Amino acid sequence: MSELFVVGISWRTAPVAIREKLAFRDEEVASTLRELTIVNPVAEALLISTCNRVEVYGVAKPGADATGPVRHFLAQQRGLKAGELADVIYDHRGSAAIRHVFRVASALDSLVLGEAQILGQLKAAYGVAGGAGTSGPVLGRFLERAFGVAKRVRTETSIARGAANISSVAVELATRVFGNLSGKSVLVIGAGKMSTLAARHLYTSGAQQIVVTNRSPEKAEALAAEIDGIARPWSELETLLAQTDIVISSTGAREPVLTRALFKKVTKARRWRPMTVIDIAVPRDAEPAIGDFDGVYLFDIDDLEKVVAANLAERARAGEQAGRIVEHEAGQFEQWLRTQGVVPTIRALREHFAEVADTELQKALEQLARREHSPVQQREVVQRLVQLVVNKLLHTPTAALRESTSDEAALRAEVLCELFGLEPEQGREGERESQPTIPAVPALDAAPEMKSPE
Amino acid sequence: MTTYEPAARLLSVAPSPAFWVAVAAYAAASTVLFLVLAGKQKLRGLAISLVGVAFVAHGVDIGWRGTLHVHPAQSVREAIGLLAFIVTGGYLLASTRYRLTIGGVVVMPVALILLVAARLTPAGTAPEDLSTLGRIHISMATIGVGVFAFASALSAIYLMEARALKKKKFDTVAFKDNGAPLEVLDRMSHRLIWVGFPIFTVALVLGAIWVSKLGESLDRPEYPLAAITWCAYAALLVGRQAYGWRGRRAARFTLIGFAAALAVLAIYLVRRMVE
Repeated sequence: MSELFVVGISWRTAPVAIREKLAFRDEEVASTLRELTIVNPVAEALLISTCNRVEVYGVAKPGADATGPVRHFLAQQRGLKAGELADVIYDHRGSAAIRHVFRVASALDSLVLGEAQILGQLKAAYGVAGGAGTSGPVLGRFLERAFGVAKRVRTETSIARGAANISSVAVELATRVFGNLSGKSVLVIGAGKMSTLAARHLYTSGAQQIVVTNRSPEKAEALAAEIDGIARPWSELETLLAQTDIVISSTGAREPVLTRALFKKVTKARRWRPMTVIDIAVPRDAEPAIGDFDGVYLFDIDDLEKVVAANLAERARAGEQAGRIVEHEAGQFEQWLRTQGVVPTIRALREHFAEVADTELQKALEQLARREHSPVQQREVVQRLVQLVVNKLLHTPTAALRESTSDEAALRAEVLCELFGLEPEQGREGERESQPTIPAVPALDAAPEMKSPE
Repeated sequence: MTTYEPAARLLSVAPSPAFWVAVAAYAAASTVLFLVLAGKQKLRGLAISLVGVAFVAHGVDIGWRGTLHVHPAQSVREAIGLLAFIVTGGYLLASTRYRLTIGGVVVMPVALILLVAARLTPAGTAPEDLSTLGRIHISMATIGVGVFAFASALSAIYLMEARALKKKKFDTVAFKDNGAPLEVLDRMSHRLIWVGFPIFTVALVLGAIWVSKLGESLDRPEYPLAAITWCAYAALLVGRQAYGWRGRRAARFTLIGFAAALAVLAIYLVRRMVE
């Protein structure tokens, strides 16, 4: 039976210095997968390469152990010595591989528990493997199940609830004040990278317009162009504040820019309409006292980090529940996988039985159609049909049982008894084989072609 | 067979079976909402269903009393039961759109206490049959105060949520519950006061006419308290329209007005019991 396996490194085992050495560019993945399946005992494979993990998920060829060769292959691909990866590379097989991939898809193995990107990355990697022709029925079914498990974990637990990074927290806090952000205006003061991210996040969450202001007009223009905003001169700061619902500030100023005196005028001008001020600058841009004004909700970088920590703690609690879901689903998938090994045998058995029955049935029908038969004769035809089918089906196993060595015979007899639910009577060994229980029927002249195979 | 004076007999009508169902449902809803707030999010649906059961049973109880000729605004004692009914209905309606767990934890026990007070406190005896004017006054005052009660519940939630945000208490229930946003709470409370204020104003005018017709003295404490309620809401509406008051200041005014209205109800109830 083919075995599922995982080989790779992740943030848990390898520092970024090694992860970046082993990483694959998007355009390299398909060719790497093709090579991997050609030169190794790997029947199906997928390669995921993100900033936090590089992993191969695959199905080994029947009877082969693929993990060793794949470890070697990965190191060789990146010109690394096997020793360089020895301490950081891991592999899982069978049920451990299933659990690992289910956990990865559900973001239980992510650096930020419950983050949403990994599922998209895994789906993309699966798409690439499909395009490269290296994903087959087992890997396909496995990944589809992993996506299903991830969906279940996200909907049934609070693993993905609550913002887990600074820019998402900015959106969450603004939502606490305003509810729907559509139609709300955003003012970005300064040009820090974090404020750009937060502004973009607010914009995609429905905020209407982003206005950028900076002491340097060029910087304001550049940032505005980058985030589809509008640049306004620094001198208009007070007016802009009076018109804005959400302020994100990250200037490099040594002294506070958003002062109590300024906000006294601003809050009055906006008639105390609520306003969220997110100050991610260090040193801070906003005097803490502006948070005392009615309607002004001020958050500094520490506050945002506190929210992230609280949300992550909540996610960690949900992680335990998610772990139980993964465990249950992995158990079910293993069960399914086990049945897949015998499916071809079951199919062949059914086809063989159907073929024998069909051949004999056709002969019997032809015989009945050839001339008139009395009811007694019809009964005889049917009885003979059944006897022939039984004899034909039992011929091969019976012959094999007779011809086997004594050790084989005992084993085979035991398997047959178990499969057919038989309880042979003791003490009748050596007796002549009894005939089938179907009443013996004398051969009919009209049916010379219907001969027992024995 | 004992004979009663008509009004006295009516006041002593025993609670219906539906009353006990309502009491049980209010108590269960309060408990379950508290559990939801404590983190058992899955129980939210059950909590709202229990509020629904309480609301229906409460309505059936009011209807049942109606068949025995007990008008829901026949006395302040009855009106308090109606008030709880209105507040529960408002909560149920708002819950269809917003997460109001904190509000429910406050509103449901209050509704339970009001209902129990309305049915199980000593009935006393009514001094005389109420005139139509008196009934309209009590009905409208009850509806007005009911609407104010709901606005006040929203304002109370506003203050709690705003405090959690202002003080950056991100691990408090008020923050974690992720309830209705501040702006929505403020707007809903404002709209409710716009609805309740005209009703309460008419009730107050009718009350004044009624009292003057009865020729009663005006130096009772409930009259200035009712005037405080009216003034608080009038000031709030003017402040909002003319000066853009909102947020915490508006929420505090809403609560002050409601506290005065509650004091009026309490005085009526206590006086009835004493008399």
